[in-house]
Amino acid sequence: MRKALGARRKEGKMEQSARDEILAKLRAAPKKAIHPRPYVPPLSELSMTKEELIERFMKNLVEETGIVHRVPDMQAALDKLTEIVKAEGLKKVMVSTDDVVAPLDLPAWGQRNNIKVMTHKDFSDRESFKDAVFQEAEAGITGADFAVAETGTLGLIHNKDQARLVSLAPILHIAIAPLERMVPVYEQVIEKVFGDKAGATGRSPLLPSQFLFITGPSMTGDIQGALFKGMHGPRRIIVILVG
Amino acid sequence: MEIKTEQFTDLAKKELENDRLRTFLKVWFPVLSMKRDLGIATLPDPAAAQAYGAAIREEAMERLPELLEEFEKNALANGAKVFWARDAKEANDYITNLAKERGIKYVTKGKSMVTEETGLNEVLSQNGVEVWETDLGEFIAQQLHRPPFHIVGPAINVPVEEVRDLFLEKINLQEPTLDPVQLGYAARIFLRDKFHHVQMGITGINIAVAETGTIINVENEGNIRFTKASPPTQVSVMSVEKVVATMKDALHMIRLLCRNCTGQKLTAYVSMDSGPKKSGEIDGPEELFIVIVDNGRTKIYQDPIARDVLRCIRCAACLNSCPVYGKIGGYAYGWAYSGPMGQVLDPVLLGLERTQDLYRATTLCGACKSVCPVGIDHPSMFLYYRAKDVLGEPYFMAKRRPRSEERFFKAFAWAVSRPWLWNLAVRMIRPYINKDAREGVISKMKGPFAGWFRTRDLPVMAWITFHERWEKMKENA
Repeated sequence: MRKALGARRKEGKMEQSARDEILAKLRAAPKKAIHPRPYVPPLSELSMTKEELIERFMKNLVEETGIVHRVPDMQAALDKLTEIVKAEGLKKVMVSTDDVVAPLDLPAWGQRNNIKVMTHKDFSDRESFKDAVFQEAEAGITGADFAVAETGTLGLIHNKDQARLVSLAPILHIAIAPLERMVPVYEQVIEKVFGDKAGATGRSPLLPSQFLFITGPSMTGDIQGALFKGMHGPRRIIVILVG
Repeated sequence: MEIKTEQFTDLAKKELENDRLRTFLKVWFPVLSMKRDLGIATLPDPAAAQAYGAAIREEAMERLPELLEEFEKNALANGAKVFWARDAKEANDYITNLAKERGIKYVTKGKSMVTEETGLNEVLSQNGVEVWETDLGEFIAQQLHRPPFHIVGPAINVPVEEVRDLFLEKINLQEPTLDPVQLGYAARIFLRDKFHHVQMGITGINIAVAETGTIINVENEGNIRFTKASPPTQVSVMSVEKVVATMKDALHMIRLLCRNCTGQKLTAYVSMDSGPKKSGEIDGPEELFIVIVDNGRTKIYQDPIARDVLRCIRCAACLNSCPVYGKIGGYAYGWAYSGPMGQVLDPVLLGLERTQDLYRATTLCGACKSVCPVGIDHPSMFLYYRAKDVLGEPYFMAKRRPRSEERFFKAFAWAVSRPWLWNLAVRMIRPYINKDAREGVISKMKGPFAGWFRTRDLPVMAWITFHERWEKMKENA
């Protein structure tokens, strides 16, 4: 029996996996020369001063209907947050526990301001967390790991302190971005998150399960090209730049 | 999805009679290509950036087998599961089984062209798994049982009245409205419930990165993010050619993709997954399946010229610049891929016989080529397919033109290279041809040449030819 199986395997093709078959076909194809890559001038953001970068970031985000506030320090950020929450009349919010917002101790801040502040850590499982973030939370409040001037983009590393649905399911997303996390272009973000050495072994387990760029609110133009915000995700995004 | 590429001419005719569609295209179409031009102009040297994109995709294609292996190795190290499928059936069966094993009642789906191609939705439905397309345009197209009209706006042509009626019937739209925003919000509420309770999500993949095993999705609505955040099982499907070497290459392609697609510098969301969620994370998939589909690509890859079409990143710049697409819209092309993108892809995916009109319905103006961020030379490709078709190339299932046509052209070549015979023939044929002339042009003819005249005119043949006049002048002199 074993011999018969071995013989069949030796016959080849029938036993070949789809993977091996696909790769073998690709390898067997005639080769072509690869042309050298042309020179591409660097993006203008790479030669900007810090203030110019901040200005570029704000301009880009405002173009996408984002609202940007700039405050000098974390205390001022908390005050700005209180002001926003009052103005919006928010009663229930879902908050990340990332390294930007955790030090603000938002649950205590919520008690002082009569706002129900939830974090995903209040929930024991996915389903109960989803019920809250889909149905209860009127806003999601997160920190940002990066702010990219190139396009007014926030970079979020999703991990145990940064749940994916907090910046997605509620109709309003409020993000707090310390200015020392401002970078000119995407490449600097990617180098920090993914490392700069190609295919380095042992690096993979360190990669975040999901890394995300956010540029403005959710949007669509799918009905007759009419553009509007808030298709599935937040209708509005408010960014507090700190520093 | 039913393949109707053979019916191109009839479908195009029908679309040309649709006044509403033509008005819509007249207004919307220039806007799309203008946005694209403004978008690409935000780069310091747009031409160099496009050429760099072509170089990235050229290299990715030439190194395809090694990059796929590297991608697989890193994706596995990230904790994803990788499944390779030779064809549509293998991919569909695998995904259907995943759903059945988990007792899945319904899935939410992000827009994925390759699953349009493989007809995954039909197979899932036949097996009792409900499928909800969640991109607004794709959702409308799915509910209307129509193919995508445009790769970026699959239902952008559908009149608001039709969307209203559809939503009144299917998703409990409370108050009839013609406001696209209110209609959109009705769909938001309906699909939000699907996202909330979904147990398995299916997405496409815009870019797969070899050096990190990362898969990237580029979107505006957030439906793909929901599909990758809410359910415990995520299935992401890619065709083999989606891979690039490095994260840096991916970033450059994203810059080009967004600008060439909608004119945006970056879409609202770009999400990059490296494996399933880690322990302690409350959302995101517990298991991530990456399905790599061949479905004819390795065959295209064998031909060094046709291989170039595999560079395509589905940005739709070629659709938005095409004078033919701009008149007939996307339905006439008869399958998942429309416009010049479909005209270069479909013939090698489906065979040259079934797609006869696709590589002929072109002005060869080269507008598509001039905007392509990956350097595909569409016009040359069309001519290449025509040549293969005439020669009856079996590799791409060419039709081979009828024997009579071949004999005719042989005789024609023989005759026109003999002046006495040419002159004799002209004299014989002229009265017959000229009898239907109107205002100096012949615009129709009966018999075997009727087809040629369907879209072309011929000036009347001169009763006295240049040669005859020349002879007469010499005599008089």
